[in-house]
Amino acid sequence: MSLYPAFARPRDLGQAAEIMGSLSTGAMIIAGGQEVMPSVNYGALMPEVYIDVGQITALKGISEENGAIQIGSFTVHRDVQQSDVIQNNLPLLSYAAAQIGGGMQVHNRGTIGGNIVSMHPLYDILPSLLALGADVDILKDGEEQRMALADLMKDASHGLGSESLLVRVLLKPMTPDAGWAYEKLKITAGGYGSANAAAIVTLDSDKITSLRIIVGAVSALPVDISDALSDYRGQAWSEHLAEEIEAKASAAIKEPLSDHQGDGDWRRAMAGVMARRAIEAAVKRAG
Amino acid sequence: MGDQKPETEGYVGQSVRTIEGRAPIMGKATYTNDINFPGQLHAHILRSPHAAANIKSIDTSGAEKVAGVVRVVTGAQAAEYIDPIPHYIDPAVFGGRSATIRCLALDHVWCFGQPVAVVVAEDKRTARYAVSRIVVDYEVTTPVIDAEDALKDDSPMVVPGWDANMIMQIPFGGGDVAKAFSSADRVVKTDVKVHRFSTQPIETRTYNAVYEAGTESLTLYGTVQNPHPLRHVLSKILRMPENKIRVHAPVIGGAFGMKMHGHPEEGLVCFLSKLIGQPVQWVEDREECLLIGAREQVHSVELAVTKDGMILGLRDHYLANTGAPSSCPGWGMAMLTGLTMPGPYSVQNLDVQLSAVVTNKPGWNASRGYGKEVTALALELSVDNAARELGLDPVDMRIKNFIKKDQFPYDSPTGLIYDSGDYEGVMRKAMDIIGYEDWKKQQEEAREEGRYIGIGVGFELTPEGGTLPGTLVAGYDSSTVRVAPDGSVRILTGVTTPGSGNPTGIAQIVADELGVRLDTIEVVQGDTTTCPYGFGNSSGRSTIVGGGSAAKAAIEVREKIIKVAAALMEVGESSVTMKDGIIVSGDKTIGLEEVCYACYTRAYDVGSVIDPPLEATAMFKPGLVRHTPNEKGQINPYPSYSNAAYVAISEVDVNTGEVKLLKFSVAHDCGNVINPILVEGQACGAIMFGIGAAMAENITFDENGRQLTKNFMDYVMPRIGDVPPITLAHHDSPNPVNYKGLKGAGEAGVGGSAAAVVNSVNNALSPFGVMMTETPLTAPRVWSAIQEAKKAQPQRKVA
Repeated sequence: MSLYPAFARPRDLGQAAEIMGSLSTGAMIIAGGQEVMPSVNYGALMPEVYIDVGQITALKGISEENGAIQIGSFTVHRDVQQSDVIQNNLPLLSYAAAQIGGGMQVHNRGTIGGNIVSMHPLYDILPSLLALGADVDILKDGEEQRMALADLMKDASHGLGSESLLVRVLLKPMTPDAGWAYEKLKITAGGYGSANAAAIVTLDSDKITSLRIIVGAVSALPVDISDALSDYRGQAWSEHLAEEIEAKASAAIKEPLSDHQGDGDWRRAMAGVMARRAIEAAVKRAG
Repeated sequence: MGDQKPETEGYVGQSVRTIEGRAPIMGKATYTNDINFPGQLHAHILRSPHAAANIKSIDTSGAEKVAGVVRVVTGAQAAEYIDPIPHYIDPAVFGGRSATIRCLALDHVWCFGQPVAVVVAEDKRTARYAVSRIVVDYEVTTPVIDAEDALKDDSPMVVPGWDANMIMQIPFGGGDVAKAFSSADRVVKTDVKVHRFSTQPIETRTYNAVYEAGTESLTLYGTVQNPHPLRHVLSKILRMPENKIRVHAPVIGGAFGMKMHGHPEEGLVCFLSKLIGQPVQWVEDREECLLIGAREQVHSVELAVTKDGMILGLRDHYLANTGAPSSCPGWGMAMLTGLTMPGPYSVQNLDVQLSAVVTNKPGWNASRGYGKEVTALALELSVDNAARELGLDPVDMRIKNFIKKDQFPYDSPTGLIYDSGDYEGVMRKAMDIIGYEDWKKQQEEAREEGRYIGIGVGFELTPEGGTLPGTLVAGYDSSTVRVAPDGSVRILTGVTTPGSGNPTGIAQIVADELGVRLDTIEVVQGDTTTCPYGFGNSSGRSTIVGGGSAAKAAIEVREKIIKVAAALMEVGESSVTMKDGIIVSGDKTIGLEEVCYACYTRAYDVGSVIDPPLEATAMFKPGLVRHTPNEKGQINPYPSYSNAAYVAISEVDVNTGEVKLLKFSVAHDCGNVINPILVEGQACGAIMFGIGAAMAENITFDENGRQLTKNFMDYVMPRIGDVPPITLAHHDSPNPVNYKGLKGAGEAGVGGSAAAVVNSVNNALSPFGVMMTETPLTAPRVWSAIQEAKKAQPQRKVA
């Protein structure tokens, strides 16, 4: 906590690693500033050092190579929305990025990395990334480590801390026949979501061959309910199935959030409603 | 745009563009926060984190050590130099309990957020940081949060030394209530709970004080609705004569009542500037702005009705949770709620009683509607509930009970004298313009598809232009009209604008009365040194009394101009006319500038027929107000009774509880309209407030009385995308006693539109038997009401 913070602007990942290694707690990595600056302005955060990663080119851009898609952590939401690579290969992600609240300013400045590492339960990107089975590269102690995003998202209380830097997100393209949807329940235009769900489904005629649903904004971290739905593989899609998925999604929320967005009972029920709407829309798209 | 004058007679009645121009819309106006001075310091306030506590000690040494800190002041230190804050409306004047309110707490805090100490530093960040270095030793005591709990025998006292947690209990009404209830076919009881919500101007409060030691005088630039009365209050706090204080209110970025005075920071910032001898600025942050409460009331409305829907009597003993005592006029809202009963309904047997309760929540300030919006909510939800119980159409039941248009002036059982109105006509017009009958068909078709469309109406009676005896809430006001030697016009008014456009309305009136072009008029407001003594902006009064007084002054000045013009043209005065600055007599024409120049420069020949300068100050005091109590001890504080009907069409998603508004209409009676587009802007704004009130805006607390609502993520206001298309119509019954038949137009509509929304949701969910009478109707609440209704009526076939 300092009234007179220092400012560091590493030019590459090497410099970033060096700076992060030399600082104690109290340093704060800042990218688009959409998470950090409101807290600073509000007086809740007073970092001693800002590490501005905006000049590190390795963190920027979207690329596709040998069927693997990389998104630099400094890529802003607007670029994720508009990228041909993302639109063609990961339409779910492109769509979800467009649902981020806060308006044009947030879309133009907020980054995919910031959206992930803030681990905010109400944010929009995580459910889709988890449904897509994303991996992430993290720079820590001078070395890059690759891990599944799902493994990073096991503990909301920790986050990445100032000693680690999210470098990039790695994804495999969706299969062209996959149906997908992201459903978000929000009470006012431009407000935060109260429940959301991302779904990806593939069908063989009307039989489900694969099914992933992640439910967000209802508990501290997004909940992957895909395993609970594994029995449905091979079954024909029906209205009855949609009802069962709604019930299972609700039941999967063990510790619902209860906040200004709504109480726990409602959030749990909305997890089901969003899951159902997402799978219905995904099936429709696949069919 | 050049000359905006349309083809028709005069400016009054025309939607001319505001003379304030584009600056306020673009955020380019000079607001208080834009006014800065060399050497200006910044204050940050340490606020109580507890709802109730004794202050055992305060250690400011940590803050004083921070580089850049100029001064740290505690309550005890401040009390040596400044006195308590006089009440805007002192409850003692009305026989209630009056607490001593200080700018900084002395040895006890009675609400979360109460100012405890203040740091003045060279910049805002330093001041804020230093505040975190102050250590206060609190002895936390048990807070009183709920109004019902506050009245229990064993409740702790919010105000040390009081014998009850009550500002006062006031009965309203008359007639034979017992007989009305015993002769009724049914008594329908409706518990209406209105939550705590406020108003949130884009511009938060800002005070910028400059003390000049050389002249021992002080100027406050501030977000102030009532500069002259605040000057009086500051003189008492600061122990200075009023003539050494200047209050200047620059352009305001929204006020809605919140910028009426009594706030601790007003006197505090002035005191700090005087103490230190440098300019001091304080800017409220959003969290602080959200501390100011309003409207939280619990009603228990009993309607004694006949089976065909006539209301014979009304009983409502209600509680207002006004929070901790405050010098702001907020608590008076609770009083106006009862005084405005039974609204537009012709019910003479009335037993209404207010209990204005104090608790350890932060206090209230005035909020648009000033309590009359809660009257509308309580009445309109109750009437809908009664109509449902009786199996009647809610509109038919209203029309049956409305005061008829030939009954005005109408004596209400609470002592009010309603000036004029055509409530049935207003209601029918609101229904016509939205296509009420067509929506009924659409509703039926939607239900067959499993969709739930609702149609709700709401009516609001909004007394405007109020004045309370023994307070600086005055009914009259004054204006000065000056015409310069070049013929340009300056109007100085005692009224001010909260950004609603009244300077334009006043200029339109003067342009017509004087006979000049609108674009030659300038309006000056909000400065105690240049403007005539006035009471500023409140209660929809500014165009009524500001316009009325400016018109009278303009007529006086016009007479002088005509006299000199006649002398110049050597014709009789009666043959001279003046319009758009052109003076005509027969085939002779003379320009305004030539005449005005002569008025100033030829005082010994042609100008000797008048006393220069071309200037007049006039006062306008509306009629109908009665401050001498009648035989029942009742007064009528209002000269005008605006009213409006609202129709809301909504669709409820029964799976999520979401309410989507599809269409909205309002028919509005504010007397004759000076500028339709400005009135429509006010009406649409009030509907936004009403939608926010009905659906989402909510200030909440934890069980210890700590406020949970801190920002716009928590306090959810409707975005423009949430607001449906609004169809608006005027249905004006001119006020018989006011200039041009005006009634206030600034407040009306928060409660009527909120009630229409709530009634539309209940109407949509009537197949489930849902009747929600507690606001706000958030999605989780609507959803759980549906779940409960489904449990209660499992046999009912729904969705």
